[in-house]
Amino acid sequence: MDFKNFSLAISQTKVARFADDLAAGKIMSTICSKCGKKYYPPQADCSECLSSDMEWKELKGEGTLVTFTKIYVPPDHFGVRQALMPFSSIQFEPCPIGLLAVESGLKVMGWMPKLDLKKIKVGMKMKASPQILPDGKVTIILEPI
Amino acid sequence: MRKVAVVGIGHGRFGVRSDASLRELVFEAVKACLDDAGVPLKEVDSMVTGIAGDEFSIALQPSAQVHDYIGFHPKPNFRVEGACATGSMALRTGWMNVASGLADVVLVVGVEKMTEVATSVATDIMGRGGDATWEYPFGTTFPGYYAMIANAHMAEFGTTEEQLAMVAVKNHYYGSLNPYAHMQKPITLEKALTSFTVAHPLKLFDCSLITDGAAAVLLASGEKAKALSKKPVWIAGLGLATDTMRIGDRKTLTSILSAREAAKTAYKMAGVGPSDIQVATVHDCFTIAEILAYEDLGFCEKGEGGKLIQAKETYVGGKIPVNVDGGLKSKGHPLGATGVSMAIEITKQLRGEAGERQVKNAEVGLSHNVGGTGQVVAVHIFRRE
Repeated sequence: MDFKNFSLAISQTKVARFADDLAAGKIMSTICSKCGKKYYPPQADCSECLSSDMEWKELKGEGTLVTFTKIYVPPDHFGVRQALMPFSSIQFEPCPIGLLAVESGLKVMGWMPKLDLKKIKVGMKMKASPQILPDGKVTIILEPI
Repeated sequence: MRKVAVVGIGHGRFGVRSDASLRELVFEAVKACLDDAGVPLKEVDSMVTGIAGDEFSIALQPSAQVHDYIGFHPKPNFRVEGACATGSMALRTGWMNVASGLADVVLVVGVEKMTEVATSVATDIMGRGGDATWEYPFGTTFPGYYAMIANAHMAEFGTTEEQLAMVAVKNHYYGSLNPYAHMQKPITLEKALTSFTVAHPLKLFDCSLITDGAAAVLLASGEKAKALSKKPVWIAGLGLATDTMRIGDRKTLTSILSAREAAKTAYKMAGVGPSDIQVATVHDCFTIAEILAYEDLGFCEKGEGGKLIQAKETYVGGKIPVNVDGGLKSKGHPLGATGVSMAIEITKQLRGEAGERQVKNAEVGLSHNVGGTGQVVAVHIFRRE
């Protein structure tokens, strides 16, 4: 799968399999074979010991919500265009996003679909999971446990 | 290292400048700067240009447009970049030019032409100021990043939306007294609190403005500065520090650690501490960012930033006046120009030329300029003598 199905922007990276793994239902991290440092998002190279000998490992998705927001003014890429039909309008209800602290202090960003802003609290227990979108793109969602 | 002083300042009018292109904006600031210094362009040895985005300027080397338009060729000019801290990178590079002896008189220019592209496109470009590969797919925007920082700060310290709005009220009040500001009108607390949500919990009046603008300062070496200027303002301390690309990799979300590190370096170099600072310009791209700045610069304890603005301690006459030029919040935030504009305000304050906004007998001032969410931060300390 083209990595762009996840990143939206770039295709070319040494960790492009991340998108394939998401499609296969796994959120993957990398671990340095030499010094053991863990990376999420995955890195092909270790900034700790400069080794490029990395192993892939599935990330346990359970964790604690560090912070969140709901972006009402989206970037152009996610923008909602004016409806072309006269006398019609588009109701835009954006999806909140959050940052989840999982194993070893790693943090996973994800969408929080169908979650009411009032019910989202810093510190709540959640799980990060891969999600295949209707257009074939892959992403990550956070859901309460 | 040689001593370096600001000997000239020139501030263009910030705003939606649909009347002017990038190079024309620079011309206004450079002309004002050379007039202020009383130095002709032919006596300037070298130049540095701060421009943050190719995508805003729709050109690969916008700095060449700049030196061409003011007729600076064949003398040296190049561009530096540090996202929202670009202007301070330009000032730092100018300082390096002079302190090293490479040049005696250096022109530092900061500019951004942001409104040539649509607002949604500008939001997109700035969103990619975060991690464009790993965070952008989640629809992140700059208000979105600082909203996540705000929610974390509120959860940890009980900072309130009212306290955030108080920062906006202060900065709009001072912006109304600044003829170069983008929005020169005061706002009420109620207006700030009832404006629409941009990224929860940040509302429209918690956000700085998408602005066109340019600013320029002239730097000179010790002896030359004394000969050129009756009121040289010395750059006494410089600090620069970096942090991770992604906010998810930060040790904390309730402090910008690179700002703390940059401040520590700058304070040490200048031989001063937070209590010696009499006036400061800080990076209030969002109201929460000004509250973090109070804490990171040591103007109050960690977690107490909300209380500092609530007690009005950052107004003129308070413990430490902050952003009394209107800040990014109401003066506007043309990315490349902001850091240079901060240096101009502090220079004016230390010269005693800030008019209604003047902090009495200010001798030591500070600027704090954050690139992105702290990926790179510059802190500069200025002294009258």
